[in-house]
Amino acid sequence: MTRQSPKVGVYGFTGCAGDQLMILNCEDQLVDLFGATEIRSFVMAKSDNHEGELDVAFIEGSISTEEQLKRLKEIRERSKVMIAIGTCACHGGPQAMKLGEGKWEEMYKKVYGNAKITVSKAFEAQPIDAFVKVDMYIPGCPIDKTEFLGAVSKLVAGRHPYLLKAPVCLECRWKENPCMLYAGRFCAGPLTKSGCGAVCPTHNLPCVGCWGPTDDLNVSSEYQLLKEKGYDPDEIIKKIKKFGGARVAQLVKDLENKKEAKT
Amino acid sequence: MRELNVEALARVEGDGGITVTLDGKKVKSVTLDVHEGPRLIEQLVRGMTPADDLNVIPRICAICTLSHRYSAIRGLEKALGIKPPEKAQLTRELMMLGENVESNSLHTFLLALPDFLGYPSAIAMLNDYGDDVKRALRLKKFGNHVMAVTSGRIVHGENPILGGFGKYPGRKALEEVKLKSHELVPDAVRDVELFASLDYPTYPEAEMLFMSVDAPKKQFGFAGESIIISNGKQADVEDYKKLTNERIVSHSFAKRSLYQDKPYTVGANARLINMGKRLDGQAADMFKEHYNDRWLKNPLMNNLAQAIEMLWSLEHIPDTVDKIMSLEDPPIEKPTRENGSGTGAVEAPRGTLYHHYDIKNGLIDTADIITPTAQNLDDIERHMKLTAERMLADDKKDEEVRLGLEMVARAYDPCISCATHLVTLKRI
Repeated sequence: MTRQSPKVGVYGFTGCAGDQLMILNCEDQLVDLFGATEIRSFVMAKSDNHEGELDVAFIEGSISTEEQLKRLKEIRERSKVMIAIGTCACHGGPQAMKLGEGKWEEMYKKVYGNAKITVSKAFEAQPIDAFVKVDMYIPGCPIDKTEFLGAVSKLVAGRHPYLLKAPVCLECRWKENPCMLYAGRFCAGPLTKSGCGAVCPTHNLPCVGCWGPTDDLNVSSEYQLLKEKGYDPDEIIKKIKKFGGARVAQLVKDLENKKEAKT
Repeated sequence: MRELNVEALARVEGDGGITVTLDGKKVKSVTLDVHEGPRLIEQLVRGMTPADDLNVIPRICAICTLSHRYSAIRGLEKALGIKPPEKAQLTRELMMLGENVESNSLHTFLLALPDFLGYPSAIAMLNDYGDDVKRALRLKKFGNHVMAVTSGRIVHGENPILGGFGKYPGRKALEEVKLKSHELVPDAVRDVELFASLDYPTYPEAEMLFMSVDAPKKQFGFAGESIIISNGKQADVEDYKKLTNERIVSHSFAKRSLYQDKPYTVGANARLINMGKRLDGQAADMFKEHYNDRWLKNPLMNNLAQAIEMLWSLEHIPDTVDKIMSLEDPPIEKPTRENGSGTGAVEAPRGTLYHHYDIKNGLIDTADIITPTAQNLDDIERHMKLTAERMLADDKKDEEVRLGLEMVARAYDPCISCATHLVTLKRI
């Protein structure tokens, strides 16, 4: 008996299309990927798209208009599994870095002034799980080929994919990079999810935090480590909010509260 | 009155559509609709350090990530009084060659070619055109590889920074790049032949105006300090606002560009029209063989222009690599001032990309980014309208008109994420 290929849809919302591009960047596996799955909809790659029931929907990008929100909900309804791909879908991305600060309206006005524009309503970008249930997160800016293909292979085989949970520091150790923090350079690695191969520290540059916050259980001590190194908590938050957005702010707030509760 | 729609414009980067409003056979309007959501990136980077800005702004677009980074670096270095070392400049040139090969192969083969051959996607072409598709994927993979070697990653690499590189590519990696680029030249030549053999419909043809960055030393290239206009004029990149004249139109969020009240085109066709005589190697021969007056009025010729340009980029990689390898790794150049302004202009694969910055006390005070697709939008619509009018006059079926319009839009290699890095637009 042959297993039926899973019906897959790939959708993009507000972002840079980099995660969809990373799928197209799997040059060596692209033909097999289209063979092992039944790609029903992937507007960036093909024009014969059929919208219907899906086994897996991959969603890139954050949600920032009413129209996108409607479409996201509609895709959710007809998908068995929804997977957020990329930092924008998972955490909101750069466009959500000031989420919750109440500055969006003002910034929006600075761009458009008082021009009367008859379009569907736009709002500050948010991650997709602010609106729908998400079954799995594959963050990255952009996603990593190996991690994405690994996840797809598992799904095709009917298995649950496994993703690294540790912070970037783990991969940095594997690469035997000298620690940025010991060199006195602020590095977002301890608070950032791994999977990129510690690419920035490997190029003698501090991690910029583009994969968003790690869900590693050690994050509390990682944060303390940064503070002990003398970094101002506000500066830490400001740096890593560029990609982790409101989620990072919340993470740090929780850590501070936890610490206060202990003392 | 009726409407003819392409709801989701496939095989472009970003979320867009086309709406044609018809009154009988008369075309009232044709619009390229962009459904991307707003991001307000230029506002978000205000108050950031230039280094933090450089982490964020490439995220405007994945396909031209290095063009965004390079344009920003050029603007910021001018503003901060940084003189980049020669090795940094050459390594940046190499990364642009890589991006050009990657993006032009992606666009010509995976996005544009299926229309000309009557397929829904490049994957669907595999049975009949397997060799061509695989050749394109080889070129694309190599372009990506050059981007990874220089920038650290195939998309959104952080390695190019102000004043230099975090880590310069090593000799072994560079030698591999050189070797591989030699190997792939015949593939690129075959691509030019394929794109030269295609039938380019005449429907969109009309007089056009082209703009591109003037590469220094009368050479062909992707960055410079002045702009060539195909009417014979020249302008300094610091005067970019006079060239692009961004405006808000009441019926949409898209900022539009006009030069002296006229739409204009940027892209590989503009570069070859303005600087084609500077090409060398086989690319020069191919250009001489295939260039004709149609290029001056038919935007579809951009596909062939991209194929020829990709060949030039490949042919230039070995020489650029040799120059890089002859130099020692220099230290990173630091800013010499904390206040200043500067405009960077580079040729992204899809056209001229401007990044202007004002820096106050070491922080971003204003950022102004003008993307190629935003500049092309008016001309895309103008050529789509002509196409719709002429095809309907020829009694073409709706399905054929739709495809005709999509081909025009796609020929510009539009990057809708780029065009809407700060805006969303919907036409009603």
